[in-house]
Amino acid sequence: MNKKLRAFSDMSLQGKISSIYILTNLFACLVNILLILGINRMSGEMEMVYRDNLNLNELSESLDSVQSSMTDYLNAKTSDSLEEYYRNSQIYMQLLEGLEDEINGDSYDRMKRNIKHMSGQYLEIADQTIDAKRGRNVEKYRARYESASQMYDYINTYIYSLNNQQFKNNSENYTELSQAFRLFETVGIAVIIVVIGVNVCIITKLVGAIISPLKALARSADEVANGNFDVELLEVQTRDEIGVVSRAFNQMVVSIREYIERIRHSMEVERVMKEKELLMETHLKDAQLKYLQAQINPHFLFNTLNAGAQLAMLEGAERTYRYVQNMSEFFRYNVKKGDATVTIQEEIELVDNYIYILNVRFSGDIHYEKKVDQSLLQVEMPSMILQPIVENCVNHGIREMAGEGRIWLSVYRIDDVACISVRDNGAGMSAEAIGKVLSGTYREEELAAGSNGIGMDNVIARLKLFTECDDVMSIVSEGVDQGTEVIIYLQIREREEEDV
Amino acid sequence: MRKDNAKKTKYTFYLGMTVFLLIVTTIMGVFAFTMYVDHFTEKSDPNRYDKYYIMIAEDNSSSFWQSVYRGAYEEGLLQNSYVDLLNGAFDHNYSKEDMMRIAIASEVDGIIVAADESDEMTELINEAAAKEIPVVTLYGDNTQSERCTFVGIGSYDLGREYGRQVLEIMRKKLLPEVQVRVTPLYDENGVRLMWTETMEYLPVKVMVLVSPHTQDSGQNILCSGIQETIDNEKEEDVEIELSLVTIDDTNTFSVEESIRDIFMEQEQPDIIVCLNELNTACVYQAVVDYNKVGQVNILGYYDSDTILKAVDRNVIYATVTIDAAQMGKYCVEALTEYNTFGNTSQYFIADIELINKDNVAEYLDGGDAGDE
Repeated sequence: MNKKLRAFSDMSLQGKISSIYILTNLFACLVNILLILGINRMSGEMEMVYRDNLNLNELSESLDSVQSSMTDYLNAKTSDSLEEYYRNSQIYMQLLEGLEDEINGDSYDRMKRNIKHMSGQYLEIADQTIDAKRGRNVEKYRARYESASQMYDYINTYIYSLNNQQFKNNSENYTELSQAFRLFETVGIAVIIVVIGVNVCIITKLVGAIISPLKALARSADEVANGNFDVELLEVQTRDEIGVVSRAFNQMVVSIREYIERIRHSMEVERVMKEKELLMETHLKDAQLKYLQAQINPHFLFNTLNAGAQLAMLEGAERTYRYVQNMSEFFRYNVKKGDATVTIQEEIELVDNYIYILNVRFSGDIHYEKKVDQSLLQVEMPSMILQPIVENCVNHGIREMAGEGRIWLSVYRIDDVACISVRDNGAGMSAEAIGKVLSGTYREEELAAGSNGIGMDNVIARLKLFTECDDVMSIVSEGVDQGTEVIIYLQIREREEEDV
Repeated sequence: MRKDNAKKTKYTFYLGMTVFLLIVTTIMGVFAFTMYVDHFTEKSDPNRYDKYYIMIAEDNSSSFWQSVYRGAYEEGLLQNSYVDLLNGAFDHNYSKEDMMRIAIASEVDGIIVAADESDEMTELINEAAAKEIPVVTLYGDNTQSERCTFVGIGSYDLGREYGRQVLEIMRKKLLPEVQVRVTPLYDENGVRLMWTETMEYLPVKVMVLVSPHTQDSGQNILCSGIQETIDNEKEEDVEIELSLVTIDDTNTFSVEESIRDIFMEQEQPDIIVCLNELNTACVYQAVVDYNKVGQVNILGYYDSDTILKAVDRNVIYATVTIDAAQMGKYCVEALTEYNTFGNTSQYFIADIELINKDNVAEYLDGGDAGDE
């Protein structure tokens, strides 16, 4: 069954539809033939109903002619009538042979048997009568004629009765048969109607089953045409033309999806890159804006400081000269390196300058110690990173404290990472504050006095952009008045290797 | 996918079932159709039988003879013989003699005939015997002929039963009628001396309806049985006048007319004894019609529905039933025996039973086996 079904599903579309029509027509034809055969047989049966009566009539007529030819002979004794008698009795005997001679339960058969036997006796007596007539034995042939006639009467009555009974029975049969005939006609029509109905159902269902993949294909194609490439793939079981088209369609949809996916991916990468670029630019712009705001002073200061330094030199004020020179260096760095990638060394120098300026300002309150791994001095990093951190240490850590403020700067290496640690012994930070700083939400004192306007958030953001990783800074504080340590982690870049 | 597959399987299943059912229906329809057509042509009883017997009864309409035939027919089937009742087979009304001739000419294996003592019947039975067709006389015998056996009722016993019933009716129902005769007593001079009164019982008139075949020995024996019983067992000093009235049964409706004639007479009998079913039915109807219920007592014959109802209603005092089916059975047994051994017993006697008001209920309820 399954094999057949598969064979059917492997057929071509034309083959399928043709085979359905052929099968249904064959089915209807078969039923029709059966019905016609049945009706044919029935009408044949109806024609045969009165056959027995006809046979009996023939028998009766033949008996009549035997009797009349015998009577004729007895009357006139012509050789014609004798011949006639022999011929008739011959015919009669032949007819008798057609009658049943067995005793069975059928009363007609038994009556026929009796008729046959009586007729035999009758013919015997008739022969004897004829013989007696030829022998001119008047007495004898009269007596025999009498008994032959009596026998003739009996047989005739017998045949008549049998004929009558059979006719009655046959009439009943005929009525029944014709009723049945009509019933079978009705049944036949009903059967044909049912067969037609079933055929219509079969054709509709099978053609529907054949067409349904085509419908599904049309639906999917319509959706694809409307721009929905996420259509469910068609289930293809047949190998006909529709199957071929469906498979091709599936292949097409899959390919389109792949292309779309690929394009989307590359667009995504592009977008991410662009976003990063934009972000970097934004932060840089932000920083630059801050510089520019601050540059109004540095440029002016830078020029005046230079003039001040030369003046101090002329007057021989060595310390003033150094101080102004340091100030000048500090501001120059700001102006010059504001937007560039610098080395750790340059950043440390800036911190040195800054600390010197502060110590002059605050008369040497800040004790600054540094411990630098010289091999790391050429490691690249963004500019303006360390100075804001140190500024924070000073502003928030040690400015307010009573004792001697200390700042330790150390640069060391852990594996491939260059670590820059700035530690103070100032006020310390709470863990909450550390979290806020690291997440960039701590900004309230951003523009406090003495600041160059660059906040920790900006520092962290630029470091992140520069290193392209999130783990760029950690802040350690053991509590209030225990000091704070800020550590920056930098991937050691190529330039350092080249230099080494 | 799975749902789709299930749907497909279900669909295939339904389609297959429909086609299968249609084909089965069609085949069954054609089969039923063929069977239906065949039943017109098939024989009602296709069995073949070894022997073929013909029964010639008095008539084919009374339940008595139908019972006899039924008994014979059923016994015949057991012996693989077929028994046909010739009465009624023809549209023409043939006499028993004609039917005998037909049966002889039909060369059957045996004839069962309700014979009588007529010469013609004797001749016909002898003719059959000459052609080696055994003849059993049934109910009515033909003692002179070469019939092989007689199956009937014990006529003498039946007569005695009737006699006893006559006496019982006299005891229970009839008040003795007395006639007072007044005669003058004269002296020697012829002068009337006085009136003398003599009381006499009027004789009870018992009428036995007999058939006109005077040689019918069974009937004669029966009558003498009645007479002897009355003579021997009579207790009272009442004279019983037993008369035989011949009922003409030679013509088709003559029986009924003859019986009506009795009731047209001035004097009606006190008791009428009927010796066959038809007579009983006719007498019963006449008694009702002439309003003689209670005056004329009937002793009937056989247990047809009509007769049983009449017994139940007290119109017929009692009736005698014969095991009709047993009689039919004996006939076939006798013929089989004769055909097998060439000889058989000369007489078979069927049982008789009396039905009166006391036991009629069981015949009415149970339905007598012989009267189907």
